[in-house]
Parts: sequence; structure tokens; C-alpha cells
Amino acid sequence: MTTTSPKIDRTFTSRIALLLAAASAAIALPAVAFAHHSQSEFDFRSIVTVEGTVTELSWKSPHARLYVDAVNEAGQVENWNFELPSPTTLMRRGWTRKSLQPGDVVTVTAARAKHFPTIAYARSIRNADGEPMFTGVTEVEAPQPVSSGSPE
Amino acid sequence: MRRTLRAKLALLVLCACPAAALAQWLSYPTPGIPRTESGEPDMGAPVPRTADGKPDFSGIWFANVPATDMCPEEDCIQEERMAREQINLGINLEGGLPYTQWSKEQMVQRQADGGLHDPHMHCMPPNFPRAWTLPQHIKIVQTRDLMVLLHEFNAAYREVFMDGRPLPEDPNPTWNGYSTAHWEGDTLVIETNGIRDDMWLDIQGSPVTESALVTERLTRLNFGLMQVEISVNDPKAYTRPWSVTIEMAYQPDTAMLEEICLDDEQNVDMHRPVTSESE
Repeated sequence: MTTTSPKIDRTFTSRIALLLAAASAAIALPAVAFAHHSQSEFDFRSIVTVEGTVTELSWKSPHARLYVDAVNEAGQVENWNFELPSPTTLMRRGWTRKSLQPGDVVTVTAARAKHFPTIAYARSIRNADGEPMFTGVTEVEAPQPVSSGSPE
Repeated sequence: MRRTLRAKLALLVLCACPAAALAQWLSYPTPGIPRTESGEPDMGAPVPRTADGKPDFSGIWFANVPATDMCPEEDCIQEERMAREQINLGINLEGGLPYTQWSKEQMVQRQADGGLHDPHMHCMPPNFPRAWTLPQHIKIVQTRDLMVLLHEFNAAYREVFMDGRPLPEDPNPTWNGYSTAHWEGDTLVIETNGIRDDMWLDIQGSPVTESALVTERLTRLNFGLMQVEISVNDPKAYTRPWSVTIEMAYQPDTAMLEEICLDDEQNVDMHRPVTSESE
């Protein structure tokens, strides 16, 4: 978790909206998404939308990470850790390590980690101008369950 | 004063340079490749050849996966290019991979663990043939007697000897094993043994073991495309030999980018339930 001092734009209305099972059907979520691993640590049926202020764009492998301060419903500042593709993938799609900077206001839609309340896998990011940014989501078929029955 | 003036002049010259000259290597034009009249890489051009007439596979390659947009919500998002075989190497094989009972039991456990023990998740080396399917670029450097494959993931390398040496007997198992190659017409046939006993072929956990002989048949179809037929003969993991084919696309006007996985690996810990110290 980043220790960067938060820069909160108090005039910006931060909010956290949880869109759970009912909404997920309308969004047509994949069974699962993958990057350099199975990503089973994320729940792709549990989507969160966070509006907040960037504290850090961590430009490291295997995943770049966007840390965002947002005020929760209890009025407390939470620092979110949004997983992105690798910096190499992002650079080939036009990102640089300065594409987002501390103080930038963003809206991130992401799949929540199963065990960590403020970690999520970013699906879409809108910058302060409302423009969507590539997040490199890959949606392919989930692994087929394998039974331990007789060999073929 | 004169030094200051010279510095200002140098700055002026720098600012006057065309944007292309200042472009990063990521978009630097690859020299010596066929181009159309408009200057675009000519992906349909004939197969390039070495001085002795063999197909030359040198260059940067990536699975031939188109970049597409998807619109899951109101925003359209560009899809990250990724070979479907990365998830399941046998996805296009009728009936799937012919797992042995041992293999099936391995995979049940691997999937029950949510992929937690996938070597790739732990930032271990990009083992071939799995490495063909990973979402990083591969650079082939081909000489008459040696082919070197450079992989962006962990800045790794693999050697394929084309100097007539035999495969080793009773080799010490390694991540990529030991590879030799020979020509069959315009196809380069790479044979590999000495692979470790605990390797994964894909995210869903298909095994490949020390008993495997892996054959990769590389055929360059034209300048822009290469076919890689992967054949696995591994009696411990599969009831019969099988083959799948992956198409690779030449990547012009780009550069290799290092991707050191251990730099900031966090996903392994995310599998653990949250505790009071976690946040």
C-alpha cells in the first residue's frame, strides 16, 4: 500500500458505488479475465466504481498499479490499489509513466479482490476530462473444469 | 558567454529536430524490412532468407491476435492482445488435450488452488513452449548454427543449437530444457528434452514433465506470419502424442521492453484472506 500523502480535492464529490449481482448481468461480465496469472484472486461479479484522486501511478511489473484516494460512505479516506496491465502493455497502447499523476481526478470501474476491500482489477478508467483510458482487459473463456475421472 | 550561446544554439537545433528523430525506440522504424510505397511494413512480402537460402526467422514476434474493442459498459475498452492458448493450450484441439489420470489429478488440484501455484504467477521463467502464448514479445536472432530467442518476460533467453549436436542423454532438467534443430525443407524442426518435471503449459495447469520430447516446427508463411506447430510426446502426462499450431505475427517498428516480474509482484499475497495487518 502506498504511503504517498493524500491530496484530496474536497470539492470533488467522492463516492463509492457497489454494483453487485443484479447489475453484473446487465454488464455482461466475463466468467473470469486473465493477465499473467489466473486472476482468481478477483471477483469479476463484484464491480466497484470509485471516483477519487490519484496518489501514485506505480510503473512496475508485472502490473502497473494506480493508487487512488477516495472518501467512503463513512467519510473516511481510503487508498485504493487498482491493478493494471504491465507497463510494457500500457506503453504499447500509448500510456507513459506520467499519463496519470498525483492530484489527477479519475473514475475507475474495477473488479474487487476477494480478500482485500480496497484492491481491485481496473476495467475502465476515465480521466478528469471524462475520456476513457485503455486498461487492457482481456476477456476469454475460463478454464474448463477437469474431472478426475478416467483418462481418455 | 560564448559557451552560453553555444548551449542556446544546441537547444535550438534540438528543438528543431523532427518528431520522428526524437521518437523513442518503441516506435523506431525497423531497418531493412520490406515496405510498401507508402512506407508501411509489407507484411505480405516473400519470406526473407539467409545468405545460404534458408528462411530467416529473425525479428520480433507476438501471437497473431488482433486488437479489438469491447464495450462492456458505456466506455469501449481496447482489449489486451492475448493468445487464447495461454489459458488452455489445447483449446483448438478437438476433444482437448489427452490427459492421463495423473495429469487430471494434477489439474484438479491446480484449479482448486485457483492457480496459486502456477510458476508463472510466482514470476518464474517463461518456459517454452508455453512462452509462445504469453503476452510479451519474443525476439529471434538467427545465425547459421544457433538460434537465440529473447523473451520480454523476466528478460529471459533460450538457445536452440543448429550445429548438428545430438540432444543430451540423461540431462539435468531445466525450465526450457535442451534444444537442437534441423531443417526439413523450409521448416525448422526444433526438438527439446530435459524439461523439468513440474512445468505448466498454460494457465489452467496442463502439465509437461521430464518424460517429454517437445517438437516445435517453425514455418514462415510470408514476411508477416510464422506458424509454430507444437507437438508434445509426454507419456507421463498424456495418453498419446498431440500437436497444436499457433500463428505468430511479425512486429515491425517496435522494440523489446524488459518486464521484470519480481519488481512488484503482489498477486500471490492477494490469495490469502484479509487479516488485521493486511490493510
